[in-house]
Amino acid sequence: MISNKSPILAAAAAVGMVTMLPAGARAETRVLETGSSLLYPLFNIWVPVYAKSHPVQITTQSTGSGTGISEAISGLAQIGASDAYLSPAIHQQHPNMLNIPLAISSQMVNYNLPSLNGDHLKLSGPVLAGIYGGKITHWDDPQIAKLNPGVKLPHQTIIPVHRTDGSGDTFIFTQFLSASTPDWASTHGYGTTISWPAISGEIGAEGNQGMVSAVQQNPYSIAYIGISYKGATDQDKLGEAELQNKAGNFVLPDNQTVQAAAAAAAGQTPKDESMSLIFQPGAQSYPIINYEYAIVSTGLPAQTATAVRDFLGWTIQSNGGNAPGFMKKVDFVPLPAAIRRLSEDQIKAIGPQRSASNP
Amino acid sequence: MTFRQTMAVLGGSVPASVAAVVVFLLLYAWPAIRLNGFGFLVRNTWDLGSLYAEPIRHSGVMILPGAQYGILFLIVGTLLSTAIAMAIAVPVGIGAAAFLAEILPPGPRLWLSFLVEMLAAIPSVVFGLWGYAVLIPFLGQYVFPVMSRLLGWIPWLGEPTGSGYGLLTAGLVLSLMIVPLIASILRDAIAAQPMEVREAAAALGATRFETIWTVILPGLRPVLIGACILAMGRALGETMAVLMVSGNALNVLPASIYAPVSTMAAFIVSQLDSALQDPTGLAVRALAEVALALCLIAIIVNTAARVLLAGSAVTARLRR
Repeated sequence: MISNKSPILAAAAAVGMVTMLPAGARAETRVLETGSSLLYPLFNIWVPVYAKSHPVQITTQSTGSGTGISEAISGLAQIGASDAYLSPAIHQQHPNMLNIPLAISSQMVNYNLPSLNGDHLKLSGPVLAGIYGGKITHWDDPQIAKLNPGVKLPHQTIIPVHRTDGSGDTFIFTQFLSASTPDWASTHGYGTTISWPAISGEIGAEGNQGMVSAVQQNPYSIAYIGISYKGATDQDKLGEAELQNKAGNFVLPDNQTVQAAAAAAAGQTPKDESMSLIFQPGAQSYPIINYEYAIVSTGLPAQTATAVRDFLGWTIQSNGGNAPGFMKKVDFVPLPAAIRRLSEDQIKAIGPQRSASNP
Repeated sequence: MTFRQTMAVLGGSVPASVAAVVVFLLLYAWPAIRLNGFGFLVRNTWDLGSLYAEPIRHSGVMILPGAQYGILFLIVGTLLSTAIAMAIAVPVGIGAAAFLAEILPPGPRLWLSFLVEMLAAIPSVVFGLWGYAVLIPFLGQYVFPVMSRLLGWIPWLGEPTGSGYGLLTAGLVLSLMIVPLIASILRDAIAAQPMEVREAAAALGATRFETIWTVILPGLRPVLIGACILAMGRALGETMAVLMVSGNALNVLPASIYAPVSTMAAFIVSQLDSALQDPTGLAVRALAEVALALCLIAIIVNTAARVLLAGSAVTARLRR
C-alpha cells in the first residue's frame, strides 16, 4: 500500500487539468441537431466532413420530426430536422421559426412477402388507404389483385406497420393517402401523428429503424420507410412497392422519378418554402417526395447563429452538402437551383436581427 | 433551528413534495379535465385532431378540429399487464425466497442471493432492449404458436398469436423486473424467523415443504403484502421496458393475451413529442391528465393493499 497518497492525487489532478485545457482554449461553438430519422443518416455523413475544417461541434440525434420541431421551438436544439413543414397555426404562434429545405427525399413502401420480395408489387394510394384503414385485410384482396394481374398473392392477413412517434414520414405518407383518396382525407387527414384506425395485428414502431426491424421480423407486413434506409431494406431483402402516381403510372423512387416530381413543384414553392411535394403531376413523377427541412429560429444568440448560418449555407451548396457524393449515399436528390436561392434567403434571416443600433 | 424543527422540515418535505406534484398536475391538466369530463376514463378515442388545420372554439376552449381524448385502452393495458406480472412474479418470488432461505446450503446461498438482487439493479431500458431484440422474436416465432395450439381452447389464449409484441410479453418483462423485489425482501424475512419455529415443526413431523408452507409463510403475510405493494408500484409505473415490447396499441382493447397494449406511463413518453406540436397546448394537458389518472390508480391500489395488510394484521392478532 502507498503510504502517502497526496502526491498521486496532485499528479492526477494536474493531468486532468492539462487534458481539459486545450478543449477550453478552443472555445468551440456547440450546435445540437435533433429530429427526423429520415434526415439523420445525411447529417451523420455531413457533420464529420464539415467539422474537419470548421471550429464547430455539431451533435446529431435521431428522435423524430415531432421532437425536432418542438425542441427547435423551445430552444433546446439549434437545428430541428423535420420532413414536415411547420403548420400554419405554429407559424402564427411562433413567427420567428423558419423551415429551410436542405435536400429532397422520398419515401418507399416496403413489404415482406415470402417469395414476392424480389418483384415490385404495384400499389396505389386508395389501396394503401384501404390497408391502413382496415378495409383491405388480406393480401389477395381483389383491389390488390387488380393492380397486379398474374401475381400469385397469398391469402394472409396484412400487418400494417405505422410510426408511434411524431414523424415526418407519417406526415408525408398520410398526405399521400389524403391527396389520392378523398375518403381518407375527410376521415383521418394528415399530420405528424394521426389517430390510426384500430386494426387487429397492426404494429407501432419507433423511428425508421424500428419500421425496418418490424417489417423484417413479421412476414406479410407492410410499412412506409424513408428512402435513406434503402440500404437497410435491401440488405434485409424486403420488397419495395411501385406506387401509382397522379398520371396513373407505377414508379419506383429513383433519381429520375424524384427529380421529375421536384421539377414540377419548384416553380410554385412560396418564399417560406412551406409546401407539400406530394402527388405531383407528371408521367414520371414519384408521388411521395418532400423537402427535408431544417427548423431554425431567427432569434439565436450571435455566435451560434453565425455557426448555424455557415453550416446550413454549406449544406445546400452543390459543392458542399448537396454534392452528388453525399446525396448518393442516402438516395436523396439535391435542391433545384430556384429552391436553393429561396433557402439561401431564409438562411440569411437566422441570427440576431441587424438594425440601426446593432449593425 | 432546533433539532425538532429541522427534523420537521426534512420529514415534512417528503409528503409536501408528493402533494406538490399532484396539485401541479391537477392545475396544469384542469382545462383538459374540464373539456373531457368523466368520459375520459371510459372512452377509447385518443385523437390529437388535425394538427395542420386551424384551431376551433369548442366548449369555451380552443382545440384542433377532431381532437378528442379517451384512455380506457390505457387503463385496461396498465392494469392487465401489472396483473399478469404479479400473477407470474408472486409465486416465483415466494418460491425463490423459500429456496434461497431454506433449501440452499450457506455457500451457494450467498452468491445466488447476490445474483437475484443484481437482477433488480439492471436498468429497465436494458430489459426493454433485451426484450425487443431477443424475447420478442423467440416468443413470437416459437413459444406463442405452440401455446395457442395447446391452450387455444381457453378463451383469450387462442389464435391469432401476433408478432411477439403484446400483453403477455409486457407482463413477462415486468415480472422479471419485480421478482427480485419480492424474492429478496421475503428471503430476508424467512431467514430472520427463529430456528425454534422450524425445530418445533420438525418435532411434530412436518416435512420441509409443510414447514415452509404452513408455519413460516403464513406468519410473513404482512411482509409479503408489503413486498407485493412495492412490486405493484414498480410495475404500474414502468415505462421504458414496456414501451419497447408492448406493441403500442392505440384506441383498441386487447382481444387476446398476445394482442398489443399500451400502458399509461409508456403512452405519455411515446406521445409527448406529438403532443408538443398541438398549437393549442391541449394535447400536453391531456397527457398531464393521463399522468394524474396513473397517480390515482397507484394511490387506489396502494390503499387497497394497505387495507388488506391492516386486515390481515388484525386477523393475525385475533388468531393469536
